[in-house]
Amino acid sequence: MPFHDLRRALAEGGAQVATTRPAGSQGRSEEARIRPARLVEHDRLTACPVGSPAACPEPIAFLDGIQRHQVIGYAGAHPIIGAVVAAAVRARGPGGHLHTVAMRCRRLLVGRAAALAGVAPGAHDPVVLPDEEPAHPIRDIDMARAVVDDARTAVEVETGLAFRAERDDWLVVDGSLAESPAFASDPRMLGISKSHATLPFEGPDLVRYLQLPAGHRSSVFQPASHRGAQVYAWGLRLWPWEGRDLLFGLVRIEAAPSPASLAAADAWSRWLLAERVPVSSPDARWDRLLYGIHSVEEYLRAAVLEP
Amino acid sequence: MTPRPPVGRVVATELKPSTPHQFYFWTARESPVGIGTIVRVDAEGRLIHGVVTDGFAYSDLLTPLHAVLGADGDPAVADATARTEVRVFAAAVLRQAPEEPLQPVPLGEVFLADDADVVRALRMDAYVEGDAPTGIPVGLYATGGLEAPVYLDADFLVGPEAAHLNITGVSGLATKTSAVAFQLASVFQRFPVQKGSVAAVCFNVKGPDLCFLDQPGPLDDADRHMYARLGLTPEPFGAVRYFAPYKADGVNLNTLRTHEALAANTEPLVWGLREVLDYAEVLLNRDDIDAKADAFIDFLADRVVGKEFSDTTLRPAPFRVGTFADLEEFFRAIFDAMEAHGRGGEVWRTHHLATIRKVRNRLSNITTRSKGLVTDDGEPNDLPWQAFADRTVYVVDVAGIDPLAQDLVFARVVSKLREHLERRDLGVDHVVVFVDELNKYAPGDGPDTYVRRMLLDLSERGRYLGLVLFSAQQFRSQVHRRVVGNAATAMYGRMDSDELAMAAYGTLTPATKAKLAALPKGELMIRHPHFTQPIFVRFPRPAVLQGRQGVERFPPAPEVPFPQAVARRLRALDPSVTAAAVADLLAGRVEDDVRRALHATERARPEAALAYFRACLGRVVAAEGRGPDRPVPGVATSGDPYA
Repeated sequence: MPFHDLRRALAEGGAQVATTRPAGSQGRSEEARIRPARLVEHDRLTACPVGSPAACPEPIAFLDGIQRHQVIGYAGAHPIIGAVVAAAVRARGPGGHLHTVAMRCRRLLVGRAAALAGVAPGAHDPVVLPDEEPAHPIRDIDMARAVVDDARTAVEVETGLAFRAERDDWLVVDGSLAESPAFASDPRMLGISKSHATLPFEGPDLVRYLQLPAGHRSSVFQPASHRGAQVYAWGLRLWPWEGRDLLFGLVRIEAAPSPASLAAADAWSRWLLAERVPVSSPDARWDRLLYGIHSVEEYLRAAVLEP
Repeated sequence: MTPRPPVGRVVATELKPSTPHQFYFWTARESPVGIGTIVRVDAEGRLIHGVVTDGFAYSDLLTPLHAVLGADGDPAVADATARTEVRVFAAAVLRQAPEEPLQPVPLGEVFLADDADVVRALRMDAYVEGDAPTGIPVGLYATGGLEAPVYLDADFLVGPEAAHLNITGVSGLATKTSAVAFQLASVFQRFPVQKGSVAAVCFNVKGPDLCFLDQPGPLDDADRHMYARLGLTPEPFGAVRYFAPYKADGVNLNTLRTHEALAANTEPLVWGLREVLDYAEVLLNRDDIDAKADAFIDFLADRVVGKEFSDTTLRPAPFRVGTFADLEEFFRAIFDAMEAHGRGGEVWRTHHLATIRKVRNRLSNITTRSKGLVTDDGEPNDLPWQAFADRTVYVVDVAGIDPLAQDLVFARVVSKLREHLERRDLGVDHVVVFVDELNKYAPGDGPDTYVRRMLLDLSERGRYLGLVLFSAQQFRSQVHRRVVGNAATAMYGRMDSDELAMAAYGTLTPATKAKLAALPKGELMIRHPHFTQPIFVRFPRPAVLQGRQGVERFPPAPEVPFPQAVARRLRALDPSVTAAAVADLLAGRVEDDVRRALHATERARPEAALAYFRACLGRVVAAEGRGPDRPVPGVATSGDPYA
């Protein structure tokens, strides 16, 4: 180990040693920022033990989405991007087996109007990029990616709402509930964020937040949101992080902003701790990726991307 | 009828590609597919039938370590969500349509086989349909709530295309005897008209196994359902004749089928010198048989036994050797003459005295070792050569006799069957011979015995004659390869795992072996020339009383003193015979005279048995015993070591 001696020296100096950068925990690096949140529980950020894992006693389902995009060609200097976005809900049935109960898929063709003019979209929905700025292939691709991100969010919300229209199960959503006011206000939805590009605290609170022991949650807080709906949130450490990385096993839980959420934060955290098994290996994000969410991803990959 | 939904879909990957002989398919986690299931693949322009030979389950877990870590090392921690599990099965292709060009199995939906599929998959359409069908029901292929009759082709079971059936499996669990009894009944009931007549000769080699084939046995609804599905009538064999040697007393039969209610079709099996001499080779071991002994036995058979033989150097009167007693007298005359000749009298008619004495000793020993089967002086009572009847079972019970005598019985009965079938004068066109414990009579290693050579000959040439071997054993690997190799149809019941580890089972998948090692009673794996892969079938219990049940219902008659035993034998011929009347007749008689009279009566089977018996007793019946043995002179040595 080339840095073994350095790590030992750090440890002797009182620093936290890190060895494993949790895959995907950083989110998009360009979005890394501190957005101070408002504590709605406790006077100062506190690490709270949540108790032993206990599986959710009620029907539960998992929602996730996927996206893929590729540059499929150019019209002059304008890139043309093909994309597919999809989302599904898989519900846990008798015997703990998951089965798909809702699914949506959308195929997109993204580009400037001039680029799309000569293309027959077929089964793809054309999405026109704004023409305000001069064409730049790199910038256009970045804009297309943002369009695909939004499309994926939209299809996830659409799928979740379709599920909710039919069933009253608890729904665990991969990502933030703040993307949709309907999600954010749903008393039987929990959002799980695995990436921590945006952090809710700074200073000593941030240290406490990032050093939550395994099986502990943070005080409930209300994230500052520049565009999304209001939610309550708390950090939860699923696995021991010591010796690995500050973000290892750390997820942010979101729930509807209500006193009920405040009261149930421990119980819901225990549910989610129970969802650690089975682990979602071999996915590199297994320390934060619940198996139910992993199963939805696998399903979507096989159903949408592989054929 | 609502079309049944598919149970799976073919998958082909680089690591597990489809080939013309094998393919893989996945199913739902809960499906009726298992090892041995016959499936159909519907693909555009092609129809493929296959049989499942292996199964695999996968989960998305990369290494057990993750499962251990996830549960914190505690097996009691339950998974909140059941892991994704995939079931993939390997299937061996049974048939493709069209058959040319032969191509890898394409992707397609997989269905459970129905009746019509089973017929096509096993190529039974070639012989169960048409104007002259030759299908013989062997059992039901059953899976997933479906059940379809499976047929063997009579042309490949009893000839002439191929023949013979061999069944193997562990004792008590493989139901070998039941399977053979059922299969014989199936052959008898469904033997194709155009193939003529058929009978069976069964050797009962242990306990009461085959002693009650004419008695109805208990069946349950499931058995009756299977019989109905196979188009068979659940009934015991209508015509069965039992043959058993006497015990050493010459009166009581050496069989467990001695209950008086069953006596009517149980007959003694008695052979004399003529019957034995032709098979002397069976009785003499390898060391005994040399060219000199062989030549002298041939001399006896050709020139002496059953003929008038004159040699005035022995005595003035000609010899008429018909019995062992006569033969002993003949030998004694030779020894007397050579003794009288003095020095130089060690050769008689080119046969050295040592050779003559050796043959005499061996032949004399036969009546001792096979007492009850071979008689010193009586007439034979034999199987009805030239009068075999269609659909009749002849059971020869050799369970209680000396192994040497068993060998003699096998050799002679099978040889006689072959002789008569060659001459087409047996009375039937085909005979099925059932031999249990084949590894004992045709072992893969050990000495080359007459019986093994005979069984080899039967397995290699019998089909041309209509002589068919149904055989059974615990360990197929211990039987001579050519004997089992010539059995076109092979059945496997519950198998011993050590046996399955032998190279002979190398073509079976581990899953098929695992299934064979745990096969329930009443289920068999079958190989047949028309089936390109082994098939599992279920068969009903035979509609006959099984050995153990038979002994409980018809307990063997206790061995009784001589007069009562004679009375019992006579009552088998005429139920009105009383013990008192027989006792009166026997008063003052010599037992040997009584035996001769009894055997003569049993051979004749007269209506008035007691009167006939009385007449036999009153006639000559003078003792023909050989009297006290006299010493045999020693061999005079000439000093020539090559004499």
